[in-house]
Amino acid sequence: MELLPQATIDGLLIGGIYITIAIGFSLAYGVMHIIDFAVGEWIMLGAFLGYYLNLWTVVDPFILLPAIFLVFALIGFLVQPLVYRVISGKKGNPVLMGLVFTFGLALMFRGLALTGFGFYSHSIPSAISQDSFSLEMGSVFITIPYVRLAGLLYALAITLVLHFVLKKTDFGRAVRALSQHREASGLMGINAKRISSYVYGIYVGLSAMTGVIIGSIFTINAQMGGEYTILAFFIVVLAGMGYLAGVPWAAFLLGLVQSFFLIYLNPSYTLMAVFGILFTILLISPKGLFGRGV
Amino acid sequence: MSRKYLLLILAFGILLAVPSVIHDTFFLRIVTEAILWIGLAISWDVLAGYTGYLNFGHGAFFGIGAYTTALLMKLCGWPFFLALPVAGVAAGIVALIAGIPTLRLKGAYFAIATWALSRAIQQVALVMDITGGPDGMRLPSFLHPEFFYYLMLGAVVAIFALYWFLLEKAPFGLKVKAIREDDQSAMSLGLNPTWIKLQAFILSAVPTGILGAIYAYWITYIDPASVLGDLVTDQAVVMAVFGGLGTLIGPAIGAIIIFLFKTYFWAYLSDYQVLYLIILGGVIAASVVFLPNGLWGTVTGYLQTRKALKQEPVSQGKTDKGAQHV
Amino acid sequence: MSEPRSEQLLQVNAVTKTFGGLHAVFQVSFHIAPGEIIGLIGPNGAGKTTLFNVISGFYAPSKGHIHFKGQDISGKPPYKLAVLGIGRTFQVVKPFAGLTVLENVIIASFAKHPKRRQAEQHAWRILETTGLADRANAQASSLTLAGRKRLEVSKALALEPTLLLLDEVVAGLNPTEADKTIELILSLRSQGITILIVEHIMRVIMNISDRVVVLNFGQKIAEGIPRDVAKDSGVIQAYLGEAPQ
Repeated sequence: MELLPQATIDGLLIGGIYITIAIGFSLAYGVMHIIDFAVGEWIMLGAFLGYYLNLWTVVDPFILLPAIFLVFALIGFLVQPLVYRVISGKKGNPVLMGLVFTFGLALMFRGLALTGFGFYSHSIPSAISQDSFSLEMGSVFITIPYVRLAGLLYALAITLVLHFVLKKTDFGRAVRALSQHREASGLMGINAKRISSYVYGIYVGLSAMTGVIIGSIFTINAQMGGEYTILAFFIVVLAGMGYLAGVPWAAFLLGLVQSFFLIYLNPSYTLMAVFGILFTILLISPKGLFGRGV
Repeated sequence: MSRKYLLLILAFGILLAVPSVIHDTFFLRIVTEAILWIGLAISWDVLAGYTGYLNFGHGAFFGIGAYTTALLMKLCGWPFFLALPVAGVAAGIVALIAGIPTLRLKGAYFAIATWALSRAIQQVALVMDITGGPDGMRLPSFLHPEFFYYLMLGAVVAIFALYWFLLEKAPFGLKVKAIREDDQSAMSLGLNPTWIKLQAFILSAVPTGILGAIYAYWITYIDPASVLGDLVTDQAVVMAVFGGLGTLIGPAIGAIIIFLFKTYFWAYLSDYQVLYLIILGGVIAASVVFLPNGLWGTVTGYLQTRKALKQEPVSQGKTDKGAQHV
Repeated sequence: MSEPRSEQLLQVNAVTKTFGGLHAVFQVSFHIAPGEIIGLIGPNGAGKTTLFNVISGFYAPSKGHIHFKGQDISGKPPYKLAVLGIGRTFQVVKPFAGLTVLENVIIASFAKHPKRRQAEQHAWRILETTGLADRANAQASSLTLAGRKRLEVSKALALEPTLLLLDEVVAGLNPTEADKTIELILSLRSQGITILIVEHIMRVIMNISDRVVVLNFGQKIAEGIPRDVAKDSGVIQAYLGEAPQ
């Protein structure tokens, strides 16, 4: 029981990271109705770019974040038309084809990463990687690594910025309109294609940045993508597909579950347990925890 | 139509004769594996092309069949032909349990949910002692290439025939397609979408489990990486998408082509193994963009348009007033 | 509310359907006797399609009941109702685009003819009735709008329904096509099928309906024979926005 506070804090810290994985993913789904199977791969690629940049320039990964964002936002912006073409196609089932397409992309990226980076694991060293601070309250002793706290703060910052952009800017309004009703938005003069490009770019950029943070807290390797895709999906389904406000709650919940498994039970069964939770939730409330999913 | 039948029977006859003509064990094993992949590709397509649901965890059924067989034969001493149907049933039960919550939802949920499930199953197999963990399991040895060739051939032909009957001839096939096209309309016509999708899912899973069982006994050694890894699913997906979703011949052709490519690749370019993943992914992505109906679908579509263009224009033959506005 | 009377084919009893806080349909009651053609009219957004969806099982009523042939069907799913004898068309037509016209109707025929051969024969008969027999082997996606509306009706008909719900089957057709459709509807009634029809085109509704039910803002504001309803001031106000001078 003495471990409970630590487990809780750990869960919240990791939950923060999960927010950033899922929030871009949920946004992309809301606007383009595409489930990007490659989300984990974008995270992985961002992490590796961060790793190599850090290696070559010896700049702290946290300072590299904006650069990573820009690079990948651009890549996402350029890739998007291809995705758009697939989901707007008349042939067959566009949503299905979109899924197969991103599945193929993910496979390709994984292969490219394995080719380029090999099978080895790396981590991205940061100025704050090693240190942690401790809180002591009576018999309760909690250690909080700085780097994880930075990750949480980063996640909260991103959430706030996104919230501001979506609620207060014209662009954000256009994005929300588009996710609510595509055709009506077009009639109002919103260029679906262009907005979708921007949104996809933002989503890829966000995912890549998250990869860098993950790289400074954990290790990265070319095959890590799959796990994060599953996590992103779980969070978004729990929150309700396309319902951004639910993401933080679902992310923290997942973080807590994972942390408890790590400390109290066998971590290898975490995936099974998370899956079980997801199943149960889907059985009871297919629209997510808050019933606001699409 | 009868020309297609004849071709299929001819192909079957040739395949039956193969072991009598070719005595090279290595070659026989390659053909056996090619036949296996035909089975895996068409079973994936049953759910993907016909029903419109992507199972990115298809390999899990293969692995479940393999492990069930290994456990029954090695730990319980069961004979193979008793373990075989149980392996299929095991896969079917997993499909039933996994399908009930996930098939009610849209295809996208299902895709990732099945993918996640297969990973979870792989995790479990890696940590459980009874399954041998990462070292896998050895089955009682039975080295008889011709036996396995005929077994695989018989199984896949039976599976193909079953699918062909159920999906192209019987009412079930049309019902499945109706659900795929528009499930609301289908509901208004008396069809229960979830139940039909569930049946399709089980129809896709059970033969895959059986193929896994045969594979396990044939290779005599299985481990999570080989039978529960992503590669089984990835390859089945490429074969079906490249070959042509929504048909049985499409994935079969895709399976043969991709498998030949894979064999050649691994034989001569084994240094570049990871390149194979890039190519697989690239073929999937490119097929979706440039060949959405797959190789076979594009060919049949082209032949049909040619046939339609060659026919007399409709207005010449029809004077029926009813034709004008519809 | 009145007890379900088994002489009535359909009884809608104080049905309310709420979405979030909004009443799409509020306390609507009416009945349909066997063999009637009932018109359901009202301005846009009045709740007609929602009511259709409730009767055909796509929505469960938030409050109230629906009885069909004396049996409570409230909340039963569409596929059960189809077997019980309720067929419907959709306002935005829903053909099985990748299949042929014949296949579309065969699928509907399976409800009463489970075997492929009988279903196919039945489908041909239906297509003859609705005039689509010569397009039987065409892709459903190749039909014009008029053809697709015909296909919608054909599919619903293939269920051999007792009650047919027609949602705007005439809208969007040119006058010739519209007249043919009206002919078809009347011939269906003479075959014993009861019909509930939603339509915006007044001359259609007023000419073929035995009785008309008028909805506005989710509530029933009038019911009666077409001539009386047309003179009802509430109805006129609903459509024109102001009381007649």
